[in-house]
Amino acid sequence: MTVEHRGWRTRLLTLWLPLGVSLVFALFPFYWMAITSLKSNQELYNRKVMPLIVHHPTLKHYVDLLTETSFLEWTWNTFLVAVVSTAISLVFGAMLAYPLARMRFAGATMVSFAIAATYLVPQPLLFVPLADLINRLGLGDTLTSVMLTYPTLLIPFCAWLLMGYFRTVPIELEDAARIDGASRLQTLTKIVLPLCGPGFISAGIFAFTLAQNEFLYALIFLTKTEVRTVPVGAIAELVKGDVFYWGQLMAAALLGSIPVAIIYSFFVEHYVAGLTAGSVKG
Amino acid sequence: MRVSSRQSRRVFLQRTALGTAGALLSPAIARAQPKSLTMMHESSFVPPYDAFFKNKLAAAYEKLTGIKVNYDVVSVGSLLTRVTTAAENSSGPDMTAIGFNWAFLFDDKFLDVSDIAAEIGKESGGWYDSAQESVVVNGKWKAIPFGNIGQLMNWRTDWFKQAGYDKFPDTWDELLEAGIKLKKAGHPFGFELGHGFGDNHGWLYPLLWSYGGREVEADGKTIVIDSDETARAIDFCRKFFKETMFEDVLGWTDVNNNKAFLSEQISCTNNAESILWSAKKDFPDMAKVIDQSENPKGPKGRFHMLNPLCHSIFTHTKDQKAAKDFLRWLMAPPQAGAWYDVAVTYYQPFLHAYDDAPMWKVEPRNLPYRDALKTAHLPGWPAPLSRAQSESVAKFVVVDMFAKACAGKSTKDVIADAQAQLKQIYKQA
Amino acid sequence: MTAVFAPAEVRRRPAFSLGRWLEREGVFSWLMVALPVAFLVLMVGYPFFYGIWLSLQDRPVAKPGVFIGLANFVNDWHDPVFRQVVVNTFVYTIAATLLKMVGGLGLALVMNQDFRFKNLTRALLLLPFIVPTVLSTIAWQWILDPAFSVINWALKVADIADPGPSWLGNPHLAMFSLIMVNTWRGLPFYAITLLAGLQTISPELYEAATIDGAGRWTRFRYVTLPLLKPVIFIVTMFSVIFTFSDFQLIYVLTRGGPANATHVFATYAFDVAMGAGQFGQGASIALSMVPPLALIILAMAIYMRSEKS
Repeated sequence: MTVEHRGWRTRLLTLWLPLGVSLVFALFPFYWMAITSLKSNQELYNRKVMPLIVHHPTLKHYVDLLTETSFLEWTWNTFLVAVVSTAISLVFGAMLAYPLARMRFAGATMVSFAIAATYLVPQPLLFVPLADLINRLGLGDTLTSVMLTYPTLLIPFCAWLLMGYFRTVPIELEDAARIDGASRLQTLTKIVLPLCGPGFISAGIFAFTLAQNEFLYALIFLTKTEVRTVPVGAIAELVKGDVFYWGQLMAAALLGSIPVAIIYSFFVEHYVAGLTAGSVKG
Repeated sequence: MRVSSRQSRRVFLQRTALGTAGALLSPAIARAQPKSLTMMHESSFVPPYDAFFKNKLAAAYEKLTGIKVNYDVVSVGSLLTRVTTAAENSSGPDMTAIGFNWAFLFDDKFLDVSDIAAEIGKESGGWYDSAQESVVVNGKWKAIPFGNIGQLMNWRTDWFKQAGYDKFPDTWDELLEAGIKLKKAGHPFGFELGHGFGDNHGWLYPLLWSYGGREVEADGKTIVIDSDETARAIDFCRKFFKETMFEDVLGWTDVNNNKAFLSEQISCTNNAESILWSAKKDFPDMAKVIDQSENPKGPKGRFHMLNPLCHSIFTHTKDQKAAKDFLRWLMAPPQAGAWYDVAVTYYQPFLHAYDDAPMWKVEPRNLPYRDALKTAHLPGWPAPLSRAQSESVAKFVVVDMFAKACAGKSTKDVIADAQAQLKQIYKQA
Repeated sequence: MTAVFAPAEVRRRPAFSLGRWLEREGVFSWLMVALPVAFLVLMVGYPFFYGIWLSLQDRPVAKPGVFIGLANFVNDWHDPVFRQVVVNTFVYTIAATLLKMVGGLGLALVMNQDFRFKNLTRALLLLPFIVPTVLSTIAWQWILDPAFSVINWALKVADIADPGPSWLGNPHLAMFSLIMVNTWRGLPFYAITLLAGLQTISPELYEAATIDGAGRWTRFRYVTLPLLKPVIFIVTMFSVIFTFSDFQLIYVLTRGGPANATHVFATYAFDVAMGAGQFGQGASIALSMVPPLALIILAMAIYMRSEKS
């Protein structure tokens, strides 16, 4: 990135040290989850042994999770729901963001306020009337019910974030395209969108994550085991009264998130590459 | 599970009996009735209990009547949210399991099942008084009580013995004495004082009552929390906390005391049967030195927390008679008895016919749960179920009164806080 | 969308044409925003007004309500727990947001360098954000348990304290712990979003600045920061909104304990509305979040508009 040469001391101070500290902070709980998922209950509850090492690893919790619960089904449901609601949110978000970022039109301030005002609706109360709405539409116990409701949580954020990214595109580029005879829509799809790839990826990551994380709507709208998502399914079947099935819960947490992390890393890589290409073209 | 062989034989007999009856009855009933009913239930601490309903009871009923009974499992903490949604929108499951004051909260939305309750009572030796306390609203039974998930003293016999106690102390003062010795020996007590669902109320209300303290009078209106009795209970609790426990209990939720007990951090806590169950499964050696006893006595007697699990029918169910028929069938001795057996006393029946049921002999250490039912009450007792009482529980008025005192506030101040909160709550009622 | 698409030759015609009309800013804008706005109004509009209507009633769950005006809000004002909830929510939000903002920006700058295993590192740093909150919070329940926590364990081994600090039992530490868990969860998203912002800044700008003799700090102060401002602003505002109305994390770890020390708007509203079945009162507590949030959102709206001109 920078052209100058740096000594190893600078490199240590500006890169490895902060990176190391962040990694430890970010990953320690995962390490904890991993060892918890590999420990037998006897070892987990044993205060006398050093807690950071697995002395007698066992895959029992993973086997139980995969054989005794519908974990794979939940994972598939979660993935499906997250992909669809993310797609809806990005499309709608972009449709809102572009005019708001670049155009002058009557009611623009009102619209931009109204979008984020969605978050003013207190979620702990929202679910009662929403459940009514879902029932009237005949969508109870279908994945469609959450695919439709999650975007209400996701669109405002996507829209605002994309507005920010749309603004980082130099207006001169758009003007030039318009002078060359491109329509507004062409300007958007051919010039602005490609340049905002990173923005879409970060908004998409956010939306996807929030969708697969969501608990309350999934709890209310999805009542049958076969349509549940991972968080709701795991809590419903692995928390029994005041006893938690720690090992299985942690196995579910890891199995559910590591594939997503790998997918994300591809995206992150892609948007760095895409950006370099875009700037050369521009 | 030592019961299993006996139990499966019993189920077999019962199922053949049902099958014969079903052959005679089913064509006539099946035509007029809906194809399915849905029962919503909390995910039981005892997994075979849920499985028994799904695989045995529901199958038997379908064979008998042609009606398929679905069993929707929700985690304990999520059940109220689901019941609320169903009641508010008048849609969803036909029947549901309910908790301690929900019969009152949702009484408009639950069917009056007094007739079934009367029949079952007659058939099964009569109801405990606490059954009515749990579900009767304005003279009507709004649910059929199934079982109490009692809260008792769970303690380590080996450590108590080392401290010189062969049996569990009979009074709070003696328990404090034992606790002081045990804490010195490195085995403190651990009683929840945080914002959990039940293990906090489970011992703090009985403590308050056993010192003669009350939130409100039986009229449900007169606030009497500001009393010398309450003050004495608080003074005791502060001492009990300081000299037998450690700071972390102030932030505990229900899961913590199980964790602390099984990891051998504490020698005594107040909990349901789940600790002994888990120990038997994962820590057989520890299970041998665990015992369960009734709560200690205070100057004004001995009390326990009532924590009933009951079954209600939503008024929105399409065929009320079908749902009632099912509930009546479910609570008849062959079915209910088998279901109780599977959970081996985790749900303590509210019916006297089960007082000497064989399941009590499976684990004699669970017997105190049966006896505790006689002195068990709902939070807010002696006031009847009410909105205000529910609000007081949801706002942790009594729990926080004790917790603040333990954290160092003066007895006078914490009572004044509770009094102010109760005044605000009851003004609305 | 294809209906809006106007072929180039249509637009060159001088007289009125559909294509040209569609190219007008006002028309094009409304065609774009109409569908999403309609969707949001349908899905959120009704529940929102329902919520406001609830807050003006004495409305027990599953029972008819009685209109009582602002009595619920007056009640909240006199409720000592409510006041504590207000203070808690602000402390929680401000502290967690500051930590996430500073940490996230720092981490984004660090990650914007070239180093080995860059992609792997980025993926790993995202993990806290990816794992479902309900499940990761359950892991924290062990990490914050004095009997198992690494810090307590170290203190014990070093013979300094036993059992050491009580992370969730002490009122101040409990708030601190929740702020740390919230930061842990939210920081990666901050970092990755700001990283995306950094990546959109053209390297030529840095080169030009370097040629002009700008040092590292000057480049950051006069190139990076101004260009990143819109993204920082939006991420911060949204972080404030989400932290302010946070529910899951607190509900799993402390449920507002010890003695209300960590109760926030969402948890208290939930307990009152669900536990106590007081929908009206619960709605009034939840709606008390609206004025501060509305101010933030208004600030956002104004900020984004003024940037344009």
